[in-house]
Amino acid sequence: MSLMTRITDRVGLGWRPKLAAGILSNLDRIDIVEVIADDFFNAPRRERRALRTLAAQSPITLHGVSLGLASSVPVEPKRLDQMARLCAEVTPVSWSEHLAFVRGGGVEIGHLAAPPRTAATIDGALANLARATTIVGVAPQVENVATLIDPPGSDRDEATWVSEIVRGSSCDLLLDLHNLYANALNFNFDPVDFIARIPAESIAAIHLAGGKWIGAQGARRLLDDHLHDVPDPVYDLLAETAARATRSLTVILERDGDFPAIGCLLQQLDRARQALAHGRARMVDEAEEEAAA
Amino acid sequence: MSASCFEAFLAKLYVDESARGKFLADPRGEAMKAGLTEQEVEDVVKIDRVGLDLLSKSLERKRRRRDVRHTSVCRSSRR
Repeated sequence: MSLMTRITDRVGLGWRPKLAAGILSNLDRIDIVEVIADDFFNAPRRERRALRTLAAQSPITLHGVSLGLASSVPVEPKRLDQMARLCAEVTPVSWSEHLAFVRGGGVEIGHLAAPPRTAATIDGALANLARATTIVGVAPQVENVATLIDPPGSDRDEATWVSEIVRGSSCDLLLDLHNLYANALNFNFDPVDFIARIPAESIAAIHLAGGKWIGAQGARRLLDDHLHDVPDPVYDLLAETAARATRSLTVILERDGDFPAIGCLLQQLDRARQALAHGRARMVDEAEEEAAA
Repeated sequence: MSASCFEAFLAKLYVDESARGKFLADPRGEAMKAGLTEQEVEDVVKIDRVGLDLLSKSLERKRRRRDVRHTSVCRSSRR
């Protein structure tokens, strides 16, 4: 079987209530829909029924935002039970969570924070991922996060830290390319080198998004706000990833607000498909060159 | 101090304006008062201050947006 016949990439969109009409009327151009799982943990029966209806119409993937798996603190079983129940109810093709900590010492951070990149948080993440896999029944895909602050106390770089977690767990990687792009610009490293260093065989999913620059001149950082279109360099990183990833990829465009017309989002999905095709063609060329050598 | 206590220290630093003010005025003193290890004290003394400022402001904006959303949902549900 040739390389490309084994690979079926798909490209989809994150479900947001304000995009519902646009998504439902364009399911022929959206291969998969990603749903924020936490929005449905305590949702009324009517909303969960609507989610089941969506799942019957389109493949869906569930995305968690509040488990806080990359922490030395054990994840609460109650939160995992909620994810397990939702997975059983809608049978997604996959589920995912962030490599972040979201609370500590009783303080809710209210966002995904990058933990110190140390052996302790790797051990904590591996223990939490094992708990999550046991309770939910399926291993989550784990996502790299964007950070405005260089995580204090870190003793290794992000590529090393993420790779150690992926290699030490049974989890695939959800590679968020805008998070990677933002971190690379904010902390001065090469995102292509990052992609080359993470285990290519573990990359199963991709997130695309946009952001904006914040801060005063000389102290600016790129904020991953999901309120802007995907910038060109992120499509280049998608092509780069597609040239290296050995498995089929699920690519999701995340947009959380300042919604453009659905046509604009569909165009971004098409650009993602073009970038994937470009990267996959490069992968075939390189494989053929290697075979001929 | 355990890794979980260090995470708790960071969580408070990121979201608690008063704790952050005290820390920025005397990083070493506040870190030692919190019981961080020698290494952890050194780590937070050289914290990325630009990042801390931008992160805390970003978190504050998110909280305000959430509060506004919550208030408007409560109002519309009372109608």
